Order: sequence, then C-alpha cells, then structure tokens
Amino acid sequence: MTDRLAHPQPVSLAGKGIHLSFGRNTVLRGIDIEAPAANTVAVIGPSGSGKSTLLRTLNRLHEPDSGDILLDGRSVLNDDPNRLRQRIGMVFQHFNLFPHRSVLDNVMLAPRKVNRLSADAARELALTQLDRVGMKHKAESRPGALSGGQQQRVAIARALAMAPQVMLFDEATSALDPELVKGILALIADLGSDGMTMLVVTHEMGFAKSTSDTVVFMDHGQVVETGPPEQIFEAAATERLQRFLSQVL
Amino acid sequence: MHLNVGKLPPLIATILLICSLASAVPAAADTNQCAPSGKDGAIALPKKLATANRPHEDKYTTADVEPLSSVDIGALGLHTPRTLTVGTLSQAPPTSCLSPGGQYTGFDNELLRAIARKLGLQVVFVGTDFSGLIAQVASRRFDVGSASITATDARRRTVGFSNGYDFGYFSLVVPSGSPIDSFDELAPGQRIGVVQGTVEDAYVVDTLHLQPVKFPDFATVYTSLKTHQIDAWVAPALEATNAMRPGDAAAIVAYTFSLGNYVAYAVAKDNQPLIAALNSGLDAVIADGTWSQLYTDWVPRPLPPGWEPGSKSALTPHLPDFAVIAERHHRAVDETAPPKSTLTQLRDSFFDWELYKQAIPAMLTTGLPNTLILTVSSSVIGLAVGIALAVAGISRARWLRWPARIYTDIFRGLPEVVIILLIGLGIGPVVGGLTNNNPYPLGIAALGLTAAAYVGEIFRSGIQSVESGQLEASRALGLSYRSSMALVVVPQGIRRVLPALVNQVIALLKASALVYFLGLIAGQRELFQVGRDLNAQTGSLSPLVAAGVFYLILTIPLTHLVNFVDNRLRHGRSVAEPENPLDRIASTTSQEMT
Repeated sequence: MTDRLAHPQPVSLAGKGIHLSFGRNTVLRGIDIEAPAANTVAVIGPSGSGKSTLLRTLNRLHEPDSGDILLDGRSVLNDDPNRLRQRIGMVFQHFNLFPHRSVLDNVMLAPRKVNRLSADAARELALTQLDRVGMKHKAESRPGALSGGQQQRVAIARALAMAPQVMLFDEATSALDPELVKGILALIADLGSDGMTMLVVTHEMGFAKSTSDTVVFMDHGQVVETGPPEQIFEAAATERLQRFLSQVL
Repeated sequence: MHLNVGKLPPLIATILLICSLASAVPAAADTNQCAPSGKDGAIALPKKLATANRPHEDKYTTADVEPLSSVDIGALGLHTPRTLTVGTLSQAPPTSCLSPGGQYTGFDNELLRAIARKLGLQVVFVGTDFSGLIAQVASRRFDVGSASITATDARRRTVGFSNGYDFGYFSLVVPSGSPIDSFDELAPGQRIGVVQGTVEDAYVVDTLHLQPVKFPDFATVYTSLKTHQIDAWVAPALEATNAMRPGDAAAIVAYTFSLGNYVAYAVAKDNQPLIAALNSGLDAVIADGTWSQLYTDWVPRPLPPGWEPGSKSALTPHLPDFAVIAERHHRAVDETAPPKSTLTQLRDSFFDWELYKQAIPAMLTTGLPNTLILTVSSSVIGLAVGIALAVAGISRARWLRWPARIYTDIFRGLPEVVIILLIGLGIGPVVGGLTNNNPYPLGIAALGLTAAAYVGEIFRSGIQSVESGQLEASRALGLSYRSSMALVVVPQGIRRVLPALVNQVIALLKASALVYFLGLIAGQRELFQVGRDLNAQTGSLSPLVAAGVFYLILTIPLTHLVNFVDNRLRHGRSVAEPENPLDRIASTTSQEMT
C-alpha cells in the first residue's frame, strides 16, 4: 500500500468538449485538452480566459455543463467526485494551507481522514513528502510562520501525500516574490521529470518553453492553439497568440 | 504570554477598589431590618389619619369557619401534597422579608407558618416581585401569596382571599424640607414613587388621578426618595416606618387608610377549600394567642376602631395598649434625628465593612454557585442551539434557513427581561409538571435560548469569514463537504470568533441576575439577589458593591483569558519560533514581572 502511494502509476487526463457557465456568464466554450501519461502540459493565456476554471472543472470542483472528462481513458463524470480528487492533486496560487494546523498536520490530514492511514503511517508519509520538497525542518511550524515559497512547497507536499496520478498547478508561482519563483518552478519541473502527469497553468513563459511537452493557449474560454513549445513560441499560427506573446515576452 | 500595558489600568483599578473597601471605617451596626421589634417598638396610630377613603361595608369576611378537625388536607389542591408553596417578598420588612440567615420571615410569614402548623402542613417560601405575585398565585405557581396584600375588589377579580389578618394604611413620605405635607398637595408634575402593582399604586392612579413613578420594591423607592430623585413616596405605613433610620433625610408627613378592608392571604380564586382551611387556621391562631404574640413582636400598633382579625365569630385578641407604650417611649412617628454628613452617608452606603463581612459568606455559599450554575448551563444551551442555528443559517435549504433567521430576529430583538418573564411566567404553568413549578430551569432556558441567537450569528459570521480557498483546498484533497467543514472551515471560524463568544459568556454571567424576576427560594438566589436582599434589609448599597466585586472577579479574568487564548491560537504553540524578536522580548519581560 505504502509502495503504491509512493510510486503511483502515471495516467492520462483529458477533457472533451467541456462547456461551463455561471449563470449567464459562459466561461468555457467547448474545451478539448489532453495530457498524456507522464507529460507536462502548460496552459497559457490572458487573465480571464478560463484557465483556472478549466483546472477546477477537470477535478470537478466545478461540474461541467456538458462534455466529458477522461482519466486514464475512462469517463469519470459518474464517479464519486471525492474519489476522483484523491487521484488528482491540485496546487493553488494562494497556497490555501490550513492556518490552524501545523505544517505536518496539513500534510497528514487527507492521508489520515481520506485514506484512513494510522497516525504513525501518515506521519511517516508526510515527513517523507516534506523532505522531498525540502521542508521537513519546518514540520512543527504553523503555515503563518513560513515564507510564501516555503508555504507553496508545503502545499505541493500536501498534494503529493495523496499519491495523485495527475497534478494540477494553478498559477503556483504568481503570488510569490520573484526570488522565490525559481525554486518552486524547479520543484515542479523535477516532478515532471519523475514521470508525473501535469497540467500547469502559468504566466512563466520561460518555464512553459523549457519544461512542458505541450503548450495550450486559451482565450475567451476556448483553446486557440495547441502544440509543442517550440511551435507555440517560435511559429504562432494565430494572430491572437502572436499578440499575446508580444505582450508577455 | 504577552503582557501589554493596556491590561494594567483595569487591574490597578480593581486592586485600588479592593484596598479602599478594606480601609473603609466600619459603620454602626444595627442594620438588620428583618427582625421583630418587640412591643417596645410600638407606635401609636397616627392622629392625622384621613378616613374618607375607607369603605364602610365589609361584605367579604366570613361569619364563621369550619372546625379545624373537618379540614381535609388532601383536598386543598396544593401543587406539592402536604406543603404550602408560598410566594412572598424578600424586601418588605416587617411584614415579609428574608433574614440575614436566609430564612423567610416577617409578620405575614410567621403567622402563615403558625396557621400551617395548625393545619398540619409544611411551608416552602419563594421570594418574588410584588408586581408578579398575584398573577403567579392566580396561575397556581404559588398556593398562597403572603405579602401584606390588601384585599381589594380589583384584585378579587383575579384571586381569592382569606379573612383579614392585618390592616393597612398609607404614609406620605417626603424628603426633609419638602413643602408637601398632605396628600392634597400632591399634584401633576411631581414625581410620586410607588411600588408597582400595590394598593398605593392603585390609590395614586384611581383616587388621586396622578401618574406615579413605579418601582419594583420598597428599598429602591426609598433610596430614590433620599437622593431626591422623587418628590414623595406613597408607602404602606409599616414598611415606611421600618425603612426609615434615624438621621435619614426623609419624613412621614401624612397618613390615610388603605383601600379595601384588610390585609389577607391571596389564593387561587377557584381553590375555595384552601381559603376555608386558611380561615379555620387563622381563627385557631387568634384563639390560642399566637396571632397576638406575633402581632406584638412584629407590627405592634393599636387596631383601628371597628376592625378585628379573622372571621366575624373569631375571638377578640388581647393586645397590650400600644398607644400607652408608644407614649412612654416617646416614639412619635414623625420624630427626626440630626442628619448625617454627606460623606458619612456615602461611606455607609458603599463601604460598610460590617456588611461586607455579612454579605461575603452568603455570596460564596449561595450566590456564587448559583450564578455559575446559571451561566454555565445557559452557555451550554446557547452553544448547542447556536451551532444548530449557524448550520441552519448557512444551509442552502430554505426550510432550514428561514426558521433560523426568524428565531434569531425574535430572540435578538427582544430585551432579555421580556424573554425571561415570557418564558418563566408564560411557559412555566404549561411545563409545571416537568419542572415541579421550579422557575430555575426556565430561567436557564430563557437565558440559553437568548444567547443562542447571538451565538448562532457569531458562529455564522465566523464560518462565512473563512476564505473559500480553504474549502476548495480541502475538497481538492478528496475530503467530503462535511469533513471539510468539520476539520478545516468550522475550526477556523470558531477560532476567529472566540473573543466574541467569551464576550457572550460574560454577557450571560451578567444577565443571570435577571432570573430573580421569576421568584427563587432562598437557596437558589444568585449573586445579585443575595446582594439585593441584604441591601433591602439594611438600606446600604454595600452588599451590592460586594456583589459587583464578585462579578468583576469573574469577568475580568475571563476577558484576559480570551486575549491569551487568542494570541496562542494566532501564533501557534509556544515552540520557540524566532520570527518575531519583539514577541520574545515581551515574553521575557512578563516572566520577570511574575
């Protein structure tokens, strides 16, 4: 059991024709996106294009109005959403650590309550994951006593402790001071080279270029262009992507 | 822990207050007004007695009574078999009052004890407010009302009465130097004090056609008079004479006969067997001399012409000639002694060390435990119901949200006194079987249900103030909605509102004093009532100051406890975390100071 948790088998994650609106505000208009097993997909695009909403739809924090979500090639829309989320880890822009619990308790909580591990097993697992992100020495601290970069490392360890088969990163470095960004990006890149399937919403074009297998450009709730990074960044086909790149690069 | 300078002033103030109490010079003793004066305390009937308002016809006194032997005590409709449950006043000496030893006594109550002994009944006395007493007798919360109640026609519409055992007349009490010296001079625009619901109240309204200022008890009216907050007090003569101490800046200037025929025990209207039994017992204690003895001990004064206690066939009581005794002792009713200096008056009022010594043991053994029981149990109810209200209030289901909303609006919108009276007096008779007519649980319920409305809102706002990202992160980890709320959102919400919750407990602690409106037996009195009773017995405010000190001893540490806990939660356990050097400095200094 511990073994399976420590080395989950990477699987693919795909969204097919996803539509979502909040009341009269349509946010996703037929999104097709695929992250093959062990691949890193970078999602870029202007603010308000629906990138974060897309990630939250893929783990069903938002339920799509129509379309399908396939994990390992199988539709998960009829599964228990809690079971689905155990298999898909997520890291947030603002870390969202639980401030009333110590770093160790933050990481232990879900393995204890969801996977029903014993306290000892969960602690061991949590310390392993904290060690992996370089935060073992802060295990007893409160999140409030950590820097932003340290908090995001803990948040990553917290997600990894559930042994997810896919990881979603929602602008994981946007709230960090510039000097802390590099370390977190390196950590995410390491996860990718370990064979984790990842969808990474990011504003770091350098990261998208160097680390991802595929780049997806979104605008107005639609996927405008998809391709390998060299194609997206060197040979943008659409005027919208060209304009976006000219503004961010 | 972190001791900031802001906490020092209240602490210093408390210490200063206690020191000043300790250094106050002990004042004169003889402060217990709830004791028989004996026949040497006799007073003459006032000469200036106006008799115009006295009804001439007595159509209620019974011609004779059943013999004692024919009374069936099983058929008296008592709510506890073989026991008379009696509503009385703790603050109306000499007719009814609570002794410093915690016993209900006074002429009315001692006489009732003697009557009950004749009938073979136990007596349990419960202190209440005059304004609520007659209603409580009518609803059978009490079997008997014993509080120098004048049997007026108006009251006979609500309750029944025994034969008379005493008579009443009014005094007009005014501050020294007042120009008012007769009832005729009372006029609109003057502040005329009365106790609410008494015959004096009715007299001022119906006979004088004036609007009086209504007070809950005699002690408060008299204190207001002495401090010139009212211009006159229309008082029952005995209570007024008893309340006035030599040197008080007040004088009795006129008398008039009370409305109605006599003073009698009130009984539920339909409980004729009990009325008949009391009448039998009354004639029996008149016949064996007990009435005369108690009358001489407690309320020695000549009987007015044409009036005798008991039924028309009762024996005529033998009494000493009180007019002669009064003459001999020069105890004229309108005597005055040299007034005390303002400073002495203030010291006697607030810092009577003898009274502190009297008050503190009763407060420790009776008041404090009851206050704590009331506060803790109502807090538990408030928390439990409050959490339920908060959960319903944030629910997406309208049928849960709306009732919670309505409940909160009602209980938050009403004064606590109103809720306590409505629940205690309104619900009381309905659940009387369950609570054995004990208002104590109802008081707890009323306090708890009121607190629940506030606690519910506090929890709701706390829970809703937790960022949505917390729920999102928890759910993204695979925790269910319920687990996420229970493990992540609610604990944070509660931590945020902990100070507000402790404030609520402090508010409850203070509100527990309101339970006295429901009428409590001596052992159920909380801090305020213990202080209030002693205050009423002595006329000094010192017992209330003592009660106040007890409240502060309870509330001030609570306030500081919450600050400490709040800090703890904010900064985590006291594991050395050098991220804030200022905190460390503060903690070292506070260690040096202890």
